[in-house]
Amino acid sequence: MSEITRRRVLGIGGGLGLVAFTGLTTANALTRRPARTGAELTSEVPLPPPFQIPLPLPRTLRPVGTTGGTDHYAITQRETTAEIIPGVRTPLWTYDGTFPGPTIEARRGRPVTVTHRNELPVPTVVHLHGGRTPASSDGYPTDLVLPRDRPMEHPHAGMRDPRAVQTVLTRDYTFPTDQRPTMLWYHDHRMDYTAPAIWRGLAGMHVIRDDAEEALGLPAGPRELHLMIADRAFAADGTLHYPALRGRPGVQPEYEAGVLGDVILVNGAPWPVHEVDAARHRLRLLNASNARHYELEAVTDDGRRLELVQIGADQGLLANPVVHRTLPLAPAERYDVVVDFSGVRVGSRVRLVNRLGSGRTRAVMAFRVARRARDDSRVPRVLARDIPAWRRSDAVRVRDFSFRAGRMNGGHGWLIDGRPFDPARTDVTVRMGDVEVWRMVADVHHPVHLHLVGFKVLSRAGRRPHPHDAGLKDTISLRPGEAAEIITRFDGYRGRYLFHCHNAEHEDMGMMANLEVT
Amino acid sequence: MDTAVDSGTRPSWWVYRAVVSAHVVVISGQPVFAGVLLSGGYDGLRLHAAGANATTSLGYVQLVVAIVVWVRARRAWPFLATLALVAAETVQYFAGMAGALWLHLPLGVATIAGLVVQFVDVWRRSLREAGGE
Repeated sequence: MSEITRRRVLGIGGGLGLVAFTGLTTANALTRRPARTGAELTSEVPLPPPFQIPLPLPRTLRPVGTTGGTDHYAITQRETTAEIIPGVRTPLWTYDGTFPGPTIEARRGRPVTVTHRNELPVPTVVHLHGGRTPASSDGYPTDLVLPRDRPMEHPHAGMRDPRAVQTVLTRDYTFPTDQRPTMLWYHDHRMDYTAPAIWRGLAGMHVIRDDAEEALGLPAGPRELHLMIADRAFAADGTLHYPALRGRPGVQPEYEAGVLGDVILVNGAPWPVHEVDAARHRLRLLNASNARHYELEAVTDDGRRLELVQIGADQGLLANPVVHRTLPLAPAERYDVVVDFSGVRVGSRVRLVNRLGSGRTRAVMAFRVARRARDDSRVPRVLARDIPAWRRSDAVRVRDFSFRAGRMNGGHGWLIDGRPFDPARTDVTVRMGDVEVWRMVADVHHPVHLHLVGFKVLSRAGRRPHPHDAGLKDTISLRPGEAAEIITRFDGYRGRYLFHCHNAEHEDMGMMANLEVT
Repeated sequence: MDTAVDSGTRPSWWVYRAVVSAHVVVISGQPVFAGVLLSGGYDGLRLHAAGANATTSLGYVQLVVAIVVWVRARRAWPFLATLALVAAETVQYFAGMAGALWLHLPLGVATIAGLVVQFVDVWRRSLREAGGE
């Protein structure tokens, strides 16, 4: 080989190496660490400093009556104006005038009926997330409650879905409460417009309790806190900024991956602070954000990370506590954790920090340890013995699903198995009582939620589930390129249900499918 | 490069060519299985993991054979090229396990490109040598 050829070989090799190096460094530079699950809006009002505004505690809704062992509640969905940012008036859509809506406290085995009255300018649908609910009360996206003065004007009203059951002005939702104690949440689930409706304030918490859980001796009363975490952004006129399209569903193209706000609200207050005793507290965490993920840690003023002792998942208590230092929280997921403030100096703070945030979105809220106090609470080593023992061999069927981006109606969409949601198409039919394994693969972050049932995580990426996957869940956070297996038994009620991505923007842009239980 | 003429006839060179060829075949399955997986074919996960094990193992076999070629034919280039490849495949393996797709995808493409270049190189040389140059 001549010297020229050798030089050329070296040149070609060097060129290819340079191309590969450039590619890798570009990928490295363009990659967001931590990953972002959407595009962030910027508020146009002055934002308050963190940890100044007291944490609001949503009021507990009182029943309007009781008949035959069923508690009746009434909620009016109406517009209101609230001062979320000090000095700024923000119009909201609310359940009964507040955001979050009032909390419903239910007892296991005692049915609840909620009469929702829609005084909003748009149709609504109420879904109790995590509820074991008959299909007629599960809040199917086309089962609209129409506003009184604007009935039947909406394109989805019965046209695309012959099975839709619509009402005008009011609807009774019945929740049998035949399920494990846990914290659920209710929110709007209207076809094509779930994301903007939740964003404007249509979300509230719903707690189920029973004697067995209360006998455990967990922190209770003022030491049990329900925390709804949600991000929002505020326009210059004080309204909640949302990048909706005019006259049709969906968001502006740059927000198709998800809408993120630059203000972190807990129970509707920006970066609040809460005074606590130097004692164990039970924090019932809910991520009610449309698209923002959190990875929470509790950090003291001297930089110490407190243990997050997980006692429950989406669908109730774990068999045994699991100790975390950080806890990932995808949209719609709930975690029930106990944090012990007894080792924290009185007068100092414990900040709840989101490791996935940057700048101001790193802070979530703070606890100010106000006083020493007696603490009779405990976290038993055994929390529950009623977690179903489904085994892989019990499954009568294995199904595969892909959750990925694609085309829909000539534009960008989010698809399950290559198809956008169609109310008139049955995607999956399961037999009542059957145990099934579902294997799911995602292209980007997709928190996948099944209505009606809780499930257990069997594997992630072909390996063991993560520590935070313990217990019974109803939403599993799939990460980019990740595959996971879940197992569940379909029981409770027959009828038409859903499974979908709980990134609310993805959900509105096609990423839902019908689940028929027969 | 002067040693290329006689090393083409050595058994170690034949073994090296065989290993590089098998390596190309096995590694070409990886994007296939990844595509199956991301299209919702869950079995693609198992195949992609098995392919990763096979590919990485073959990389180490190729490295051993390249050392033999270096010792017996006093030719260092195959060893250096294979060393770079094995380093890339090892990083690739752990990037895949960690879900670092920003690294896993471009590095996977670059690794296959590098291996294909090696494949062409080892067979092209032998053809020239067979031609009696």
